[in-house]
Amino acid sequence: MTKFFKWGFLILLALFFVVPLLAMARFAFQSVPVALLTGETWLKGWSIDPIITASTDPAMWSAAKTSVLLAVFTSVLTLVLLMPLAIVTEIKAPRMRPWLTALTLLPWVVPPIALVVGVSVTFRTGAPWFLASVFSLVPFYALWAMPFTYRALDAGLQAINARTLYEAARSTGASFPTIILRVILPNMKASIVAAAALTTALVLGEFAFASLLLKETLPTFMVNFQQSQARAGLALALIILIFTALAIGIVVRTLRRRGLNVQTTGL
Amino acid sequence: MTLVVMRNIRKFFGESRALTDFSLTVESGELVCLLGPSGCGKTTALRILAGFEKADAGTIEVDSESIGSVPVEKRNFGMVFQDYSLFPNMTARQNIEFGLKSRKVSATQRRATIDRMLQVTDLGDQADKFPHQMSGGQKQRVALARAIATSPRVLLLDEPLSALDAKVRESLREEIRHLQREVGVTTVFVTHDQQEALAIADRVGVMSNGQLEQIATPRDLYQNPKNSFVAKFIGSINRIPATSRTDGLWNVLDAILTGSRAGTELEHADAGIRPEDITVSATHRESANAIIEDSSFLGAITRVKLMLNGVTTIYADLMSINATPFIPGQPVLVGVRSDLETTIIF
Repeated sequence: MTKFFKWGFLILLALFFVVPLLAMARFAFQSVPVALLTGETWLKGWSIDPIITASTDPAMWSAAKTSVLLAVFTSVLTLVLLMPLAIVTEIKAPRMRPWLTALTLLPWVVPPIALVVGVSVTFRTGAPWFLASVFSLVPFYALWAMPFTYRALDAGLQAINARTLYEAARSTGASFPTIILRVILPNMKASIVAAAALTTALVLGEFAFASLLLKETLPTFMVNFQQSQARAGLALALIILIFTALAIGIVVRTLRRRGLNVQTTGL
Repeated sequence: MTLVVMRNIRKFFGESRALTDFSLTVESGELVCLLGPSGCGKTTALRILAGFEKADAGTIEVDSESIGSVPVEKRNFGMVFQDYSLFPNMTARQNIEFGLKSRKVSATQRRATIDRMLQVTDLGDQADKFPHQMSGGQKQRVALARAIATSPRVLLLDEPLSALDAKVRESLREEIRHLQREVGVTTVFVTHDQQEALAIADRVGVMSNGQLEQIATPRDLYQNPKNSFVAKFIGSINRIPATSRTDGLWNVLDAILTGSRAGTELEHADAGIRPEDITVSATHRESANAIIEDSSFLGAITRVKLMLNGVTTIYADLMSINATPFIPGQPVLVGVRSDLETTIIF
């Protein structure tokens, strides 16, 4: 009986995710209205033209390039900022951990619109060039990704028992830089990748900041594109979804094969 | 020669007292165990000696040189932790090599030392394995090899066997003892397991409430415990009513014993008698002073539970070979071994 419920629940959950995706795919790739769908027509009218329409639009490629660059820069920035913080906190001041965990959540308390207005008012007077560049999104995204990145890194440090490793390394006479470079960082590979993957996923899907600051990233492009080309827009969304899932899957798989366990939460 | 001297060490963690006036001396080449229940301060004492914690008061000297302000990495101590703490990204060989590299040992010398370490810890076939490919016992042997590879002045072991299963624990504890003798490294070993401490140590320091209660050879500790805490913590002990005589000696179950303190005239107190020092003989109901409650066969010995004078529960360990199969309810005469001379008075 419990088995029945377990499977029933899992199947419901799967339907909840899969049905919309299937519906999306049908709408994007089949040019038959739902009202006309019958046993005879359901195999007719399929074509991959929408995806060709989308992928031949040069604006799509430029938006995609922007988003990928934003993802890379944001990942690098969050890691550069948070990795030393997470490591030093765990090793030297473990009592500060709960505080940091709470602190990194703060950006999520402020709604994007307030953040954007606040920042643009501040910068418009002093440094208007900052908001003109598309990369002005990077600091926003870095703030936005902070809770995920910090938790991923912190979970990694907990998993390798970083404090004892640090003490063990010190007792053998190693200096602080040696310990960080040869012991702590090499064992954090998995959590660094996890942090970067989370940041990337967040940046590739972020709409509010980009839209409010009038930047063309992949999500904002997709919204505009969909208004003129409904089917091509959905086809694009579907392809990006599958591509992102595959990319993250491959990274996690590769790390597992090398004996590294990817942990993405520290809660 | 005295190598390590810790004098009047005090340590607070916030409001709670971890160590109060802790003093310890360790002779060169000696293996000293710090033994005590959890929270007694033994690990804190070790971590202060290692340099991971700073004492609030007191001095530490190694080789007559004060090291209180010397950082961990400059103390040249080896340390083994309960959870192995091997570097997961390095093979056994690289783990051992890590400290040697930090100490700028030449490549040829490093190779020679590693090979020797692998040999003495019997890890030759594990050299190129990563920690996650090894068993707990093997991991802890690598940790041990890593700690002694740099020829530390003092080797510190923080409950190194607690994470291992019983069988491995016993064989590894013998190995540690053997290795420690062979290398001749002065060692401080922290454990909460009294059997482990008694089996391995030259001297055992029993701790409670942040203080060293008594430090002595295992035999001395067992036979002449200084106070009731030590007596109860090391092995098991019965509390048997005793009466002092005019000459200050104590009368315990009709045996005349010297107490850990002299009694005042006709004073009543409890004497601590080990189960193996109790004698039990079958007798008539009229001359009996105890009744058998239970008896459990433990192989070489049989542990008998008795009700003494209808009020005190005591245990006696009898050689199974001599023990008549006692039946629960049987009246017996309980006494104290005649060659027992001194006893602790609670």
